[in-house]
Amino acid sequence: MNNVTKREDIQKWIAHVKEADILVGIPSYNNAGTIGHVVRAVQAGLAKYFPDRKAVLVNSDGGSTDGTTEQVGEAVIEDFKSILLHHRVKPLFKLATPYHGIPGKGSAFRTIFELASALNVKACAVVDSDLRSITPEWLELLLKPVLTGEFDYVAPLYYRHKYDGTITNSIIYPLTRALYGKRVRQPIGGDFGFSGEIARFYLSKDVWESDVARYGIDIWMTSTAIANGYRVCQSFLGAKIHDAKDPGADLSAMLFQVVGATLDLMEEYADVWRRVRGSETVPSLGFRYAVGLEPVKVNVERMIERFNLGVDDLMDIWREFLSREVTDFLIETRALQAGEFRIPDELWVEIVYGFALAAHRRVMNKEHLLKSLTPLYIGRTASFVLETKESGAEEVEEKIERLCGVFEEKKKFLLDNWG
Amino acid sequence: MEEIYDRLIAGPLHRFSDRVMEFLPNLISAALIFFLGFVAGWLVKIVLQKFFAVIRLDRFSERNGITAVLLKSGLQEPFSRILARFAGGFVVFVFFLAALNSLEFGIIQDLIERLFRYLPNFLTALAILILAYMLGNFLGRTALIAAVNAGMRISGLIGNAVKYLIYLLGISMALEQLGIGRDTVLVSFGIIFSGVVLALAIAFGLGGKDVAREFLERRLGEKSREDDIHHL
Repeated sequence: MNNVTKREDIQKWIAHVKEADILVGIPSYNNAGTIGHVVRAVQAGLAKYFPDRKAVLVNSDGGSTDGTTEQVGEAVIEDFKSILLHHRVKPLFKLATPYHGIPGKGSAFRTIFELASALNVKACAVVDSDLRSITPEWLELLLKPVLTGEFDYVAPLYYRHKYDGTITNSIIYPLTRALYGKRVRQPIGGDFGFSGEIARFYLSKDVWESDVARYGIDIWMTSTAIANGYRVCQSFLGAKIHDAKDPGADLSAMLFQVVGATLDLMEEYADVWRRVRGSETVPSLGFRYAVGLEPVKVNVERMIERFNLGVDDLMDIWREFLSREVTDFLIETRALQAGEFRIPDELWVEIVYGFALAAHRRVMNKEHLLKSLTPLYIGRTASFVLETKESGAEEVEEKIERLCGVFEEKKKFLLDNWG
Repeated sequence: MEEIYDRLIAGPLHRFSDRVMEFLPNLISAALIFFLGFVAGWLVKIVLQKFFAVIRLDRFSERNGITAVLLKSGLQEPFSRILARFAGGFVVFVFFLAALNSLEFGIIQDLIERLFRYLPNFLTALAILILAYMLGNFLGRTALIAAVNAGMRISGLIGNAVKYLIYLLGISMALEQLGIGRDTVLVSFGIIFSGVVLALAIAFGLGGKDVAREFLERRLGEKSREDDIHHL
């Protein structure tokens, strides 16, 4: 294994730091515009809530060319007195290093886990580098449940715009909840707290050449923690507002990596999820308060166009594994006007389970299979946008709750056909 | 009288019987080789069928669309059985040729030698065709899905173009192997080159579509069609 800790400069740095209580990891790639704020929030959080703990901040970078790593080095809080009554006792060690392995968020996390393991840390937190809403309180909420020994893994809980996190809301949250029986609302939130023990456990897994090394890392971390019986909770962090969407991000590749990692986990932990019926809440920490969210611009017509294009050209592929009822319904939906366009929960769940079963039976190349899901996912998102156009946050949450119920009800279909 | 009898009847009869005696061992060995060929062919078929079952060849052929094509061609049997039968038949055929060779007829030996020299070309051509078929299906589907996900209205056309281009390339390379149409490689090169140019044109078009759209929208004052959804 090409471990970052074998590098001479890193070994010197580890020898200098020796051990630490806390490690905060920030994966990045061309985030010069936002990473300074994230680093300052982390510094303030560590100073405010863990002044007597030895802490390390690691920026694991994917080869940024916009000065991201320089921003990490330069980001300092000029006047601690303006935010704190007492100055930090223990020093904060900072490291900005390029990660190794295939390009992706997962590889960045692997470097963070390796350093956490080398420094024998007690608790880790990872936060996205494009966050604009991160506050010092996030550090307390992600790290304290682990440092007190009550929990091993802390998932985030945010208020997000109703059209934000649509892969989470329509696939990953309901599917993970139905499979493993734990209601972790943001399983791929991107900001997590976890123990040093889990970091070492993650490192022991041979997944770093798969989708886990890319966008699949978040669902892999959460599902692995749940499936292996670690104590999981979620902390309310307030609003999640991040930088403008990366225009280069390819939706189908993202969907393939996240759903692909979820389906790989289904294979690995089949013995775990096949025993689970229903779901239960996980402990939620943090004080809940209402937050204002930035509007999200959507273009439903364009989404429906994409769905229709998929129905026109990919139907032969879908017919290989989706039932006749589902494909007939999709053809009927294609003929609907924008105002009438709907993909109901029941049909959507059958589609998702149909894809999961097709991947399990290996009916075709996995990348072809999962990338052909993109137009259907876009169609479902369009349907969700139309249905919730006038809905408030609470009503939208109820709708997602209903979808989760259908996923749990229809799990029998998945179990009966899994083989 | 005796001399005439010897010259006209006994002599030719002796020579004929000598030739028959000379030929008979060859004939017997040819029959034996032919019989052994049947046994070897049967054994190869059985062993291959079991091997294909272990490696799940039928599942692989289903996934790659080979089974679908066989069904369309009216072949109802599983791909593994067809392949095992073909291999068994091929072994019988090789033994049959060896049997003919053992008869030591000059013309037949010459024909067999030429056939054996041609056989590698035939097998290579067959392998090229199978490979081109599988690759064409795979890359055609890859292009189709990528084009649909990029929102291109001519996705079906792109998928089929990629698929049939690879088929065409495979056929021309197979013909080249068989020695039919020596110039086909040159034509194939032309096809590949045109294909690459087309692919580059499409890639350039896809890469620059956002810039072009933004430019047109600015010029025409249209509302932006993009959305701000963060999917994860």
